[in-house]
Amino acid sequence: MSVNLSVNLAGIKMKNPVMPASGTFGTGREFSEFMDIKSLGALVAKTVTLRPVVGNKPPRICETNSGMLNSIGLQNEGIDHFLKHDLPYMRKFKVPIIVNIAGNTLEEYAQMCRDLHGVEGVSGIELNISCPNIKAGGIAFGASARLAEQVTAAARYNTDLPLIVKLTPNVYNISKIARAVVSAGADAVSLINTVVGMSINIKTFEPCLANITGGLSGPAIKPIAVRMVWEVAQTVNVPIIGIGGITTAEDAIEFLLAGATAVAVGTANFINPRATIEIIHGIEAFLKERELTDIKQIIGKVKT
Amino acid sequence: MFQVKADILSKEEVIPGVFSLTIVSPEISRNAKPGQFVHILCGSENDNFVLRRPFSIHRVVPGRAFEILFRVVGKGTEALSRAKIHESLDVIGPLGNSFTYSEKLESALLIAGGLGVAPLIFLAEELAERYVKLYPMIGAQEKAKLLCYIDFKRMGKKTYAATEDGSIGHQGTVVDLLNRTIHQIRPQVIYACGPKPMLRKIAETADEFGIDCQVSLEAKMACGIGVCLGCACVTKKGYKMVCKDGPVFNARDLVWDQDEVGRLPSGGCMCETQETQDSD
Repeated sequence: MSVNLSVNLAGIKMKNPVMPASGTFGTGREFSEFMDIKSLGALVAKTVTLRPVVGNKPPRICETNSGMLNSIGLQNEGIDHFLKHDLPYMRKFKVPIIVNIAGNTLEEYAQMCRDLHGVEGVSGIELNISCPNIKAGGIAFGASARLAEQVTAAARYNTDLPLIVKLTPNVYNISKIARAVVSAGADAVSLINTVVGMSINIKTFEPCLANITGGLSGPAIKPIAVRMVWEVAQTVNVPIIGIGGITTAEDAIEFLLAGATAVAVGTANFINPRATIEIIHGIEAFLKERELTDIKQIIGKVKT
Repeated sequence: MFQVKADILSKEEVIPGVFSLTIVSPEISRNAKPGQFVHILCGSENDNFVLRRPFSIHRVVPGRAFEILFRVVGKGTEALSRAKIHESLDVIGPLGNSFTYSEKLESALLIAGGLGVAPLIFLAEELAERYVKLYPMIGAQEKAKLLCYIDFKRMGKKTYAATEDGSIGHQGTVVDLLNRTIHQIRPQVIYACGPKPMLRKIAETADEFGIDCQVSLEAKMACGIGVCLGCACVTKKGYKMVCKDGPVFNARDLVWDQDEVGRLPSGGCMCETQETQDSD
């Protein structure tokens, strides 16, 4: 009995619902030594910005109970370098590529959408309006329904590609933000980005991160993410990419049941470079065990 | 680089709290170069989610196994110290760059503080095969805590030791010892590993004498393969990643920023900074 794992994410045809989360997989180059990148549902590039960003001062990461804090600060070489050097490499894997972009201004988001227009191999754009570690832009856009709507509209006006907006959990009402970006033309939403956190070294009395605060990721945030995916799934009618502490197939299945059409694996990649592939196999085994033939039979099927 | 399930061949508590593990992996042992490290999943799957811990490759059994040397400083090393012989570990490696030397290298000074000696044994063994004249210089608080003294002795090397209490060798720090002896030794290159404040002083001495100096750094690290950009260190060419651009850097390329030095209290066999991020 074969199982159909394929999903259609706002026009992006994925052979299975599993992709890496932006910023945890590079371009796939390093991971290609451990696994077959072609098996992924999609590839998501690390956030690119209009101009190169040097990133934050070290220490940039710190382990916490069941998770880690990071404050990388969107270090990247800029979109020109990305288009010239990274994208051609990623195209070789022949899986849909989602390009994640962040800007300081609406115009920067708009400009990058134009830069990506008609570029071979780009299947979708993910707007990062939720990075907690940069001063301007990032989370500033994602924490306000009005700004989130404006930035989505600016991107929408400049691209015909499937547009995914990545939401921050650091808001009181994530459904409100989701509604705002969907009304402005988002084709899908991805959630959650990291949860703002802080850790202090009690021997030195210093914050563990040079940036003082950072984004918490890993299993510690999974229940928050599942709740938010479930809430947003009740609110909007676009596909959701579920993200937040997914380490095993069981974790991924929780997100699918909560209403996610696809899932992204983040921090788990750092611990097990084969995490994505093992999750794909695990989901397939789970469906077979229950004699289900299609992944869609579990999406949004939580009994509440 | 490889991800392998590798069996522990032997384990020894070298001095109280410091362990050496020999791990079977033909792939890693065959490909490893001095200065490189392995990234090990410490503890069972039932434990809390814990990042891998990086460990310098201490020595290789050619074509068969490799050895690591570490001190128990946090929950990762604590779990690893409890691992039993024949138990299987999830290991990624070899990772990072390596110490470099020219074909014509004739003399090298190897200097380590504490666990910093871990990667230098592998380097010393390789250089000794090439008949490079070696000057090992190691330091510790006291004789009982001096690591690898016997290993260098066995290689037939005159070994310079420094202890804080003077129980063996020079009384004082290994940096003092370096500054007192560098005039006579005049090595072509210095290879150093240890706490960052120590490395900084060694770099200053090397610079003063115009000697090429390579240092092995450690940093809090998540992926170990150059993807997460978490283990940045400051160099004159901007941020570089300790896991991929390093762990070995030319001392002249680094920015020895005082603030950052203060934030990285430990150093040596790669895992120590990583481990001090939990509250022990």
